[in-house]
Amino acid sequence: MLFYVLAHRTYARNLQYRGAHMIHNIASAFFGFIYTSIWTAIAADQPLGEYGSAGIVSYVAFNQCSLWVAAFLTNGLGIEQSVRTGGIALELMRPVHLFYQLMCKEWGQIAYQFVYKFIPIYALYAIVLPMYIPSSLMIWLSTAAALLLAGYISICVNYIIGAVALWTTESRWLYWVNHAFSMLLSGFLIPLEWLPEPLAFIARWSFYPFLHYIPTRIYLGISSPLSLLGSLAWAVLLTALCLGLTSLMRRKVEVQGG
Amino acid sequence: MMSGLRMYGLLFRASIRSRMQYRFNFWFSSVMTAIISIVEFLMLAVILLKFGHINGWSLAEAGWLYSVLSLSRAIYRTVASDVHNIESYLVSGDLDGLLLRPIPVLTALMSRNVSIRFGEVFQGIAILTVSMSALMREGQIGWLSIPLTIFVIIAGALLLFSIGLLTASAGFWLTRITELQNITEDAARTAVQYPVSIYPRWLQGILVGIIPVGFANYMPGLFVLRGDTGWWMLPLTAGIAGALFALALFVWRFGISRYQSTGS
Repeated sequence: MLFYVLAHRTYARNLQYRGAHMIHNIASAFFGFIYTSIWTAIAADQPLGEYGSAGIVSYVAFNQCSLWVAAFLTNGLGIEQSVRTGGIALELMRPVHLFYQLMCKEWGQIAYQFVYKFIPIYALYAIVLPMYIPSSLMIWLSTAAALLLAGYISICVNYIIGAVALWTTESRWLYWVNHAFSMLLSGFLIPLEWLPEPLAFIARWSFYPFLHYIPTRIYLGISSPLSLLGSLAWAVLLTALCLGLTSLMRRKVEVQGG
Repeated sequence: MMSGLRMYGLLFRASIRSRMQYRFNFWFSSVMTAIISIVEFLMLAVILLKFGHINGWSLAEAGWLYSVLSLSRAIYRTVASDVHNIESYLVSGDLDGLLLRPIPVLTALMSRNVSIRFGEVFQGIAILTVSMSALMREGQIGWLSIPLTIFVIIAGALLLFSIGLLTASAGFWLTRITELQNITEDAARTAVQYPVSIYPRWLQGILVGIIPVGFANYMPGLFVLRGDTGWWMLPLTAGIAGALFALALFVWRFGISRYQSTGS
């Protein structure tokens, strides 16, 4: 119940700005178009492995849509802000666990972005690009599960980023560094198997591939739904980390004044 | 004019001094932006290392296109810092305060919250040096390309500033311009980080003719890197940047005469 109330409130607040968000979708779709153009130019001269020239366009286009579920979340779940205002002390006092509160709010954000960003951009791509659309229900369901887990992993990561603000008061830079690494290591633009060795190694042992690479390969029917086990394992591990961090945070709160 | 420049210099230095009060923060965020922009370039570099070239453009050439653009942008955002953030002034009504000052509003905006973008400058110079020395070793370009590249970077900075100023001026009518900036500044600039020839014709037309960011790197690059087109490409580039700047100043002045405060 609390989950629904918190999530719904974030959803409803975003709804006020849906006009502006729709215009923003044009820019977002355009970014995806830049990335597909890069691959189309490369594919003109050589075959692209198991993806093929059509597959790689769908791969990048689907990643661009799923950014709105798996990557563009509230910066550090807003913890940095509340550390600055001192609101963090209140939030930690509430009878609900801080991680659970913020997670519920963020699911509202993700739900909104799914409806008003993911779907419009996906629909546009389905019309203007040679986008692969799976026909099996199983693939749709496992893609949905993969995206849900990707969203959850991203929530955990942002929670950890936000929590850093308790020690440094500022964690904005970490959000952008995480974003930059995510673009490179999650397979967002370049499928992991084409990364050079040190990068591919780091990527394989990180959670990043489960944000884009795995969900999109499941969507394209290349990876089996079994790879979701990896997502699940990371989700459990990161949850434990978030909970552990919260108990440390309780002892670390400093009131900034103001 | 001279006194305007002196005033700008004074305010610019004052702004830097206030920023330097948070010295650790300043250097730390500079290092972070350098990392972020290098990782961004790495994406393109990885693709080009794997597949050799994109539409006939080698890694060194693509590096030149990329770094010239980021240096131009670093100059633009350093010199004209808060022009990009005009929306917050319009929404909060803070622009009223600037209107009361005995200096032009544009000068005031340009010298507020100045941040020297060391991160991007470092990244740009590093990638540019590596790319140009590779191209020189292959004998594709000579020493002459160094002054030409500097010329292109400065003209590009003026061009990006003009596009930014035109977009900011739209704020006098629209108030909220973040979405517009997203298209005219961010998306268009991201597009020309890569060789423009990879895009379909209509998009090439937009990037060269409508939002002419293509002239910040790709068009002059055709001449500087490959000797395509002709020497006239450089005066044309400067001419387009200058003309757009004149237009942007005109629209800015007209817009400010139509400014209505949000009154809050």
